[in-house]
Amino acid sequence: MKNPYEVLGLKEGASIEEIKKAYRELVKKYHPDRYRDNPLSDLAEEKLREINEAYDILIKSAGNGRQQYSYQQQRQQQRHNTGARTGYANDNSMFYQIKMMIQNGNYVQAQQLLDSMQVRDSSWYYLQGLLFLRRGWYDRAGVLLRRAVEMEPGNMEYREALNRLNNQYTGYRYNPYFYRQSYHQSPDMCQFCTTLWCADSLCECFGGDLIGCC
Amino acid sequence: MFGYIAPDKPDLKIWEFEVFRGYYCGVCKAIAKQAGHIGRICLSYDAAFLALLLDSLKSDPIKGKLKRCFVHPVQKRFMVEKNSAVEFASDINIILSYYNLKDKWQDEKNLTGPIGLVILRKGFKRIKRKYPALINEIEKELSFLQKLEQKKTGFMDKASEPFARLMQNVFSFTENDEKQKKALGWIGYNLGKWIYLLDAFDDLEDNIKSGAYNPLLIQFQYKHEESIQDFKDRIREKTDFNLVFTLSEMEKAFSLLDIKKNKSILENIVYRGLLLKTRNVLKIEDRSSQNEKPL
Repeated sequence: MKNPYEVLGLKEGASIEEIKKAYRELVKKYHPDRYRDNPLSDLAEEKLREINEAYDILIKSAGNGRQQYSYQQQRQQQRHNTGARTGYANDNSMFYQIKMMIQNGNYVQAQQLLDSMQVRDSSWYYLQGLLFLRRGWYDRAGVLLRRAVEMEPGNMEYREALNRLNNQYTGYRYNPYFYRQSYHQSPDMCQFCTTLWCADSLCECFGGDLIGCC
Repeated sequence: MFGYIAPDKPDLKIWEFEVFRGYYCGVCKAIAKQAGHIGRICLSYDAAFLALLLDSLKSDPIKGKLKRCFVHPVQKRFMVEKNSAVEFASDINIILSYYNLKDKWQDEKNLTGPIGLVILRKGFKRIKRKYPALINEIEKELSFLQKLEQKKTGFMDKASEPFARLMQNVFSFTENDEKQKKALGWIGYNLGKWIYLLDAFDDLEDNIKSGAYNPLLIQFQYKHEESIQDFKDRIREKTDFNLVFTLSEMEKAFSLLDIKKNKSILENIVYRGLLLKTRNVLKIEDRSSQNEKPL
């Protein structure tokens, strides 16, 4: 068993506030949503489990274990949610079979099944896109996912996959390490507003809305 | 090795810079030992990064000394002593430079080829005996690459795959722990892809003039009446998306590594250096990069 303080990247004897803050940041970093399309999702899951255990130990030893925000609970709820969401997407067994194969890293078999499919409908483009994403063929993945969304604009699962792709790009390109106060100029108010405006327009493109008033 | 993997120097603390340069000097020294003093010219930043990354996974403290060397005879510099990571990085640097020169000679009949090959030959042969399995993999991927280039593949994903896999093999080679090996491999894969595509963009002008193969020219259907600048403007956004997305995948793998030391230096490279390099090569300007030049 590793030292729980070490797991959370803290010095021994850190205060509860510090523990909570570190925990929140690490959960964000290793969140399964962030690793959904990544071949290392199993490693991230394991890391998160370690972080949860360390957090539980530290918080319990501080004596108020029960009221804490528990990531696990939230996670179970989320699982439930995604299950419900994908339920109406496309209810055939082949679709799920291939999706599970991709999720479990069984790429060769998934590719074989995809190749054997005769009908190239939106779900085919979606799955092939996901598979390419996992294998590192990002350009093709983007093309296919966009195609799937075009073919079936009402399918939220496809849209979310495409949004994840764009969000991952933005998240890294504008990462706080790069845009923190430094010898670089930090983004000014004008840029901030434009970014918000762009985000709002993007959301509206996909039927949602970020800022209600415009 | 192309030398694209570099830190954002002005943002490093002075001690961090000294340590990074210490690895760079360490690799240089190891190359001199393996391939002779003239062999040092093949040294690249990429190899320094590889040494830094692999050594940072070990918990023993950095060992090094202030030393003088004949390239910089005046002032003593901090130099990391030879360890397994530094040695491996230097070997890889020699091997990849050797293949690169060979390739250049075959493609362009570039005269630096044979001269470099003669210089590196002895070291290369020694290293080949050291890691036969790895060299075998590298040669396999390079021959894939050659075939794809001859076929003039028009997909950037496909064209960059062999070099990406080559780097995957290199980065994961020395690690024994299965999980860390997987994460290191994914770092290598994505860095390899990034290097290949960035280099392709960087070479556009030369390739158009010489008529050589370049995956971007084919994928985005370069037309002869189009000026190079127009073409670059046309493909900049798409190329940027792919390059930055590739880096973001690399960052995810990096987050999963069990880094024992030099973390802030590595983070500088992962979160700043590589992005800056991408922007500089693609010539993407925005407000925050106006004063990017070191003071």
